[in-house]
Amino acid sequence: MLASGLALIYGLRDVINFGHGALYMLGAYLGYTVAKVTGFWLALLIVPILLALVGVVFELLVLRPLKSRSHIEVALVTLGLGIILGQIIIFIYGGEARSIEAPAILSGSVTVLGLSYPVYRLFLILMGLGSCVSLAIWLRFTSSGLFVRAVSQDPSVARMMGINSDQLSLLVTSLSAAFAGIAGVLAGPYLSIDPGMDVVMIVDCLIIVVIGGTGSIAGAIIAALLFGFVQVAGSVFLPNVAALVPYVLLMVVLLIAPGGIGRGRVLS
Amino acid sequence: MSGRTSTSFRVPAAIVAGAILFGLGGVLPGYLASDFTLKLANEGMLLGLLALSVAFLMSEAGLVALGAASIYGGSGYLFAIAMNDWAMSPTAAIVFAFLAIIAYSGVLGALIVRTNPLAFMMLTLAAGEMISHVVMLEAVHDYTGGADGLVVSFKGTILGMQAADFASPQHFWPIGWTAVWLIGVTLWSVSRSKLGATLRAVRQNEERMRFSGFGTYVPRVVAYVLVNAVAAVSGLLHVLNTGFVSPESLGLGVSTNALVAALMGGTAGSIGPLAGGLIFAFAQDEFGARGATQLLTGVAIVLFIVVFPRGVVGGLVATVRRIVPGVDRKQGKS
Repeated sequence: MLASGLALIYGLRDVINFGHGALYMLGAYLGYTVAKVTGFWLALLIVPILLALVGVVFELLVLRPLKSRSHIEVALVTLGLGIILGQIIIFIYGGEARSIEAPAILSGSVTVLGLSYPVYRLFLILMGLGSCVSLAIWLRFTSSGLFVRAVSQDPSVARMMGINSDQLSLLVTSLSAAFAGIAGVLAGPYLSIDPGMDVVMIVDCLIIVVIGGTGSIAGAIIAALLFGFVQVAGSVFLPNVAALVPYVLLMVVLLIAPGGIGRGRVLS
Repeated sequence: MSGRTSTSFRVPAAIVAGAILFGLGGVLPGYLASDFTLKLANEGMLLGLLALSVAFLMSEAGLVALGAASIYGGSGYLFAIAMNDWAMSPTAAIVFAFLAIIAYSGVLGALIVRTNPLAFMMLTLAAGEMISHVVMLEAVHDYTGGADGLVVSFKGTILGMQAADFASPQHFWPIGWTAVWLIGVTLWSVSRSKLGATLRAVRQNEERMRFSGFGTYVPRVVAYVLVNAVAAVSGLLHVLNTGFVSPESLGLGVSTNALVAALMGGTAGSIGPLAGGLIFAFAQDEFGARGATQLLTGVAIVLFIVVFPRGVVGGLVATVRRIVPGVDRKQGKS
């Protein structure tokens, strides 16, 4: 889900958002605060909206004024902003780990193909698949999705055809941030909410996005599945060097196909 | 005064000014600064050297390496392992560590400079993270010390100097200062050579260079190996100074600090990144005392890319050129 958000913002805005991990961390901490008051389900609704507003601010105050700067410079600015946001979160919440309580309906385990499986993990898989499929449907079958793909492939021609790329950029950036918010809230009951959670996740997400072909949603989904597969396979067959396997995968893919699996800029 | 006369005056004047600055910089801090201040200055100088490697690649080749720390820490680990486990002399261990890093950089560079700048940045990050994980592996724990790091058992001398001499801030400063100047002048010369001009032309338009019959691959590999050699010297000096190397020295944090130092000082030229390293080390000490070290890093990245893209030194040079007539001359550098 996080990688889809990253792929989306690169697809249209040409931005590798190193601050995406910090948005995810913000989503998790906001989720913790909101869930304490309203419960998990409302937090899952409210936090993405709050993060979408953060995305609007990010687009208007940062990305739009830096439109003429190089990709590398913008990527580094997002890195800096991510570090600042992470530090602000630590100032507010402190350094101790927290967690969000999962609703009762998602606790416990079910038996799948004879194996006991935690319900919350199944819920995560469904949410992840649902988000990616929704995103793919939006990009493929709606007019705004078509405009997003058009701007991504050729911004000049799209503008000549009367497409308002600024509005679409705003939509995409806020959607990308909302995805980070959903992922943050969903991580709350499953993972520890702590100050280092952004770095751990962003490195994995960047690997997935780059393997997928920066900007390709379909590539990001395939890459996420491949990433998960090699991680599990690595921990089973090469437990001593399992941590290295994703990096080896990244290097092998990029050396064979420098554009990544998708090679495209959006869903194609 | 004619242009020719002016130039013929400027070159020796610059050499004399540089020699005076080098002499004063090497000697004065030992008399003026406390041990603590000098220790911070030493750290800043080594960070500046690492920043110089990052900045050279950025300004000349348009490539950002996020794995500089793996070279910096990696050279330290190789030196420590060669000393502790293979009983090499300090000089042999330095040569071994340096050549091993050069070989690694050559292979890695040959593979990754073909990609686009963003993929290059990600690949250097991935390669760096891989090295960070390798030193933590159980299989090499006896060599690397795992999370605890390694204390170097320094036996013998280097150019007649003992471990204690390198550990003393007073003694270490002139050694580091000399190395920094030699490397700074070398990189400055390279940037004004044919290699530097080729790199900048490739950065601006690689296709145009290929169509013009220039090789665009080898110069970038050479540049990558060159900057990693600088990072390796910085790492070796660091391990000589501290007598210790840890997994933190390989981490993304060190690479980010080097990048920030380069941006702070200014990526064009040799003095900017070195000044940036010194500024960052002292600023980090101030922010660290308030528990906000990361805030400094984040704010500095944003501030120096958005507001002061030339950095402190680049900004000062630009200001002087605007104010002093005649100083704004052609540099022969795009």
